[in-house]
Amino acid sequence: MPTLSTDPLPLPPTLRPSSASSSSALHSSLSFLLRRSSPWLSRRRCPAVACSAPRSVAPRASRGSSSSSVIVGDLEPAADPGVAFDKTFPIQHSAKVEGKIFVRFDQQNGENWVLTVGCTVPGTWILHWGVSYVDDVGSEWDQPPTEMRPPGSIPIKDYAIETPLEKPSTMMDGADCYEVNICVQSNSSIAAINFVLKDEETGAWYQHRGRDFKVPLVNCVPDDGNVVGANRGIGLWTGALGQLSNILLKTEATQEKPESSSCLSSESEEVRCIEGFYEEILLVKEVPIQNSVNVSVRNSPDDTKTLVSLETDLPGDVIVHWGVCRDDSKTWEIPSAPQPAETIAFKNKALRTLLQPKQQGNGASGLFTVDKEYAGFLFVLKLKGDSWLNCMGNDFYVPLPSSATDNQGEARSEGSQGHGMMEDHKEVSTTVYTDEIIKEIRNLASDISSEKSRNAKTKEAQESILQEIEKLAAEAYSIFRSAAPTFTDEAPAPEESIPSNISSGTGTGYEILCQGFNWESHKSGRWYMELEGRASELSALGFTIIWLPPPTDSVSPEGYMPRDLYNLNSRYGTVDQLKVLVKKFHEVNIKVLGDVVLNHRCAQYKNSNGVWNIFGGKLNWDDRAVVADDPHFQGRGNKSSGDNFHAAPNIDHSQDFVRKDIKEWLCWLRDEIGYDGWRLDFVRGFWGGYVKDYLDASEPYFAVGEYWDSLSYTYGEVDHNQDAHRQRIIDWINATNGTAGAFDVTTKGVLHAALERCEYWRLSDQKGKPPGVVGWWPSRAVTFIENHDTGSTQGHWRFPSGKEMQGYAYILTHPGTPAVFYDHIFSHYQSEISSLISLRNRNRIHCRSTVKIVKAERDVYAAIVDEKVAVKIGPGHFEPAVGHQRWSVAIEGNDYKVWQAS
Amino acid sequence: MEVSVVGNSQAKAGLAASRAVLFRSRIGGFSTSFCKSRVFMGQSRGLRKGKGECRLSSSAVRVEEVLSRSSSAPDVRSFQQPDKVRLCVGLPVDAVMDGNCVNHARAIAAGLKALKLLGIDGVELPVWWGVVEKEGRGEYEWSGYLALAEMVREAGLELHVTLCFHGCRQQQQPVISLPDWVMRVGEDESSSIFFTDRSGQQYKDCLSLAVDELPVLDGRTPMEVYHDFCESFKSSFSAYIGSPITGISMGLGPDGELRYPSLQGCESSQVDRVGAGEFQCYDRNMLKLLNEAAEACGNPFWGLGGPHDASGYDKSPISNSFFRDNGGSWESPYGEFFLSWYSNQLIRHGDRLLSLASSIFGDSGVAVSGKVPLAYSWNIINSHPSELTAGYYSTVKRDGYEEMAKMFAKNSCTVMLPGMDIRNDNARLLLGQIKAACRKHRVGVLGENSSVEGDIEQVKDVCAAGDIDSFFYQRMGAHFFSPEHFPAFTAFVGSTRQPRLHADDILKEDERAEESLTLTSDSVLQMQTA
Repeated sequence: MPTLSTDPLPLPPTLRPSSASSSSALHSSLSFLLRRSSPWLSRRRCPAVACSAPRSVAPRASRGSSSSSVIVGDLEPAADPGVAFDKTFPIQHSAKVEGKIFVRFDQQNGENWVLTVGCTVPGTWILHWGVSYVDDVGSEWDQPPTEMRPPGSIPIKDYAIETPLEKPSTMMDGADCYEVNICVQSNSSIAAINFVLKDEETGAWYQHRGRDFKVPLVNCVPDDGNVVGANRGIGLWTGALGQLSNILLKTEATQEKPESSSCLSSESEEVRCIEGFYEEILLVKEVPIQNSVNVSVRNSPDDTKTLVSLETDLPGDVIVHWGVCRDDSKTWEIPSAPQPAETIAFKNKALRTLLQPKQQGNGASGLFTVDKEYAGFLFVLKLKGDSWLNCMGNDFYVPLPSSATDNQGEARSEGSQGHGMMEDHKEVSTTVYTDEIIKEIRNLASDISSEKSRNAKTKEAQESILQEIEKLAAEAYSIFRSAAPTFTDEAPAPEESIPSNISSGTGTGYEILCQGFNWESHKSGRWYMELEGRASELSALGFTIIWLPPPTDSVSPEGYMPRDLYNLNSRYGTVDQLKVLVKKFHEVNIKVLGDVVLNHRCAQYKNSNGVWNIFGGKLNWDDRAVVADDPHFQGRGNKSSGDNFHAAPNIDHSQDFVRKDIKEWLCWLRDEIGYDGWRLDFVRGFWGGYVKDYLDASEPYFAVGEYWDSLSYTYGEVDHNQDAHRQRIIDWINATNGTAGAFDVTTKGVLHAALERCEYWRLSDQKGKPPGVVGWWPSRAVTFIENHDTGSTQGHWRFPSGKEMQGYAYILTHPGTPAVFYDHIFSHYQSEISSLISLRNRNRIHCRSTVKIVKAERDVYAAIVDEKVAVKIGPGHFEPAVGHQRWSVAIEGNDYKVWQAS
Repeated sequence: MEVSVVGNSQAKAGLAASRAVLFRSRIGGFSTSFCKSRVFMGQSRGLRKGKGECRLSSSAVRVEEVLSRSSSAPDVRSFQQPDKVRLCVGLPVDAVMDGNCVNHARAIAAGLKALKLLGIDGVELPVWWGVVEKEGRGEYEWSGYLALAEMVREAGLELHVTLCFHGCRQQQQPVISLPDWVMRVGEDESSSIFFTDRSGQQYKDCLSLAVDELPVLDGRTPMEVYHDFCESFKSSFSAYIGSPITGISMGLGPDGELRYPSLQGCESSQVDRVGAGEFQCYDRNMLKLLNEAAEACGNPFWGLGGPHDASGYDKSPISNSFFRDNGGSWESPYGEFFLSWYSNQLIRHGDRLLSLASSIFGDSGVAVSGKVPLAYSWNIINSHPSELTAGYYSTVKRDGYEEMAKMFAKNSCTVMLPGMDIRNDNARLLLGQIKAACRKHRVGVLGENSSVEGDIEQVKDVCAAGDIDSFFYQRMGAHFFSPEHFPAFTAFVGSTRQPRLHADDILKEDERAEESLTLTSDSVLQMQTA
């Protein structure tokens, strides 16, 4: 019988995830990717209250508590008459605290087992958990029987339990440790325990490779790659191979500490074969830290210079990056010598001085001598590891007393005495605030003065009044803000507002996409050159983005079975022709998307078993880059984080070296070829969080993923309600953190049903909104009616024939980013498509435009977009309401009509 | 707003408030030549009083003689420069919460000074029925509001009081409700004093208009209770009426607006609201009135309830047949009967309250106003369903605002229009329609923004258009003074004062310098004493 160990092994340093060992097989638990994830990633199970968990406001640094020598508070200002300025700025920053989550499963006696989940990072940890029963179908959770729930558990709806982690008496590695124990009867009907860990302080959820943790109690639990303690001898593979890989794992998984001998039972045929295990998962948490910096200003004894002294309780090396300014414009300058010791100049703009550690206690200090001519001392602090600290988003600014600004200085201190009743942290924010307003109003004032008067005295008078206003406004602000709110002022900001910035999920928001190839495009062998000849035409039609075919060396001529990623000579043309083409599109102001296939990659060599899983070319990966759960390819990576594409080895994106290589490759494509963004193939195959990682690294202008799965059907008929379908797409977009859009497969599907069956009521969901992704997250929906798979010569899911223009009338007038298929552009539809595109551009319809459905009946659907464009599709009658707006018909075609307001 | 009026007691002594309005408007006209900066307009004018007083007073008196007793605002306004928009800022809704103390008094004091220096004319103060008469009928507690009025007087600003006979919610959370004793009456379902929708849900933030003249409140009718409240206000604030109180808005219904609470069951904000609201005619007393009207027109069956085929709160109005474009029942004889009755009830309710207000305040010379809603959200279909449910019989074929404007004109009241910050074509068109109706009946218009987070550029445009008399900027609070907002507001104030800036070029240089010096010391002095 195993003994309960309370003293687990510390994690050896060589097993940090970054140090990928090339010779040994990496054990799965090593590369468990632990991510801070937003609760909506698994919103199905997480309670809604957690969505906006309040960011904990750590208490203000208590002055003088950290070391006795710091800081003279500004509540006792200017005790020394020589001190012109004395203030303590609080500094809030964050530090990474490393620790681990551990999961232990032990037999206590007989049928009684204990699952222990713990964490060694300080926090208010909550275990959010549930169970699956043996005969459960699907992945939903159930609540455990009450006798399993530890004291203090709270039920969450009907599917989960929340149990706080408590501090036991034991210590782990000398650090604090929190844990919770759950007792399990091995003969119960529970198949698995599922959980995520929540930190109530930050509202962060900790999952396991993007999914819930899962502890299986029987061996028939479907393994989605998130099983903890997976190497417990239960055959996930059968036969000799399975045993072999088990042995490999056992011998090389050094950090693993099997504690149980009950694995003997795994040899038996019994379905239920539980085994104890212990695993650790690295965890990095950002914790807020409070420090402060005190600045005091005094005159030098001979009254010719100003002395600025800085003291801080920040630990470690603190570099002050500083300069001076002559007026309130706060333009940085370098002061003349002498400068303190350990000072270097930084690009002629600032000085960098290392603060000297204090004699006793933590922290450091420095003394700076500045000429009287300067009006202010500016600085920011730099800690090691390139982390910068500033004053709530601005540079720290210290006004210096000088002959020119003496009066102003007095006014300032008078003002601050006036509201000395406020706590000083408000004082600080007030200063920052005031500075901002000063800047703002100063612009106003300088306008006035330059236009109206050159009289210096008037200007001064204006200035002083402006300052009064600022001061009063700042005072009112700080009191209102600190007053216990009887209600909050802020209205929740609507998610979809006017597009402003370019982001990879949306481009500018006004993009119109062209799919620049079809299934036959590879046949000529010179597609790049053919397309080059049409670039100007595509630009004139109004397209802003073109999606080019996959460019790499590929086993299949169309490019979707990539092999050597760095070889860009393909059936579409040579790498040089590709570069010329991209350049051509850039000349006509069209951005170019590369079609990147990241889910799978074809191997060039066989392994010793004769299985194709060794790659060639520059990225000569081996079978560690291949997911483990596709028996055809015998990968040695982790389980896939998504669905598998069975025709080629699926890449294991949980491997650091794989991600590093992919990021490098994407950046190379950006630099070398000039691609502006990506069309991501088969993103169902891996977790969206990895896509975010890739997009963050390659910084595309626009990115869209293909998440294509089946709509919901009942008895062979497409359901009206496709919420589940679009939710899956939205979940993926969410996993990418909104850095990518996704093709709106739902909208295409609903259009199919509505047009084919003359059931236009389908085009309004229960809430009166569009039924596709475009109804829920328009800015991330890339609407389309056809592509190289659905149409062209493959025709896997062809749009109802002859009704294409109704489809385009819909997507080109509606929000979302519309994509037009090459075959349709160069067909008899061209002039109609062209008119629709120019109408869209003329009326500035964008991906977040509002749509109001005004008719959704059997034979007609009508909507008004942005109150500027009215559209109807279907044979039925519709005329927009005459009244405030005068509508004129803009485009009319077979069963569709578009009006614009005049 | 001007110190010369408000701050100088000799100058204003004996002038009734209507004269104060005139007076100010004249000064506004004159001051064009004196102003030197868009941001401290008010102050600079104030400092001129020594020099300009005589001239200003005499001209004011002259104007006053010509127009004495004319209390209808448009006439007064016609003397103004076209670009002059009076600017007021709303005080926090929770400025007084328990009758006798002022919340965040220091913040408000600082804020008032800042506004004064910026050149703002006045502030608006919501006075809540549920705060003043909270405990029992006739037990008024005015002291908190009196203290605020005194603060406003000291700051040298005008005061516009809004009498709120409704409750206040922020983000669905009640902040201030109706008086406790009224709520107790309402708890008895059989009293049926609240507006009620088809599903029986009650709107508890104001009384149903059907009980206006029924003795449901401890034997008194709501009209009598409102009357007593207004009289008590008038006598308690007699020292302030005229100056600084120059205007009073009468609460007319939900959110103070003359409307039915048709959106009570809607979850979301106007932005992404799905439905157009529901008719609110299902409380016992409303149904009784409907029944009588139906019998009178010979169709007793029409009196059994509201339209059965109107769409629900969270349903698109086209999801059912009442509001549909082609052949919707709103166009049927029944539809016309119901909609006329429903909107007439509302107009008559407004008439009752406004004639009450003008009978009480008319002789004290303050301008009386009332708020009208901006229910634009579904005007893209012919039936304009959101206007219909709100109580305005206004469709693509019919202007429902004529009767409203006529009623305001009859009571010499001005119309307050919200939503001036909404940048939306339909909202703008509806605003234009209401303004046109007001213009036709010579009713003045005041503007208001719906949120401090609204589109300040839109507000700027509205004020620049010059067809409103005053603008009420809502409202003071943390966000108002925040670095994200206040500079934009300052710029906005500057822009409304802009046209007059050029006029100060006629001032001589030395004179101006002298003035500004005085100004500085004076303002500092004022800061220290205050």
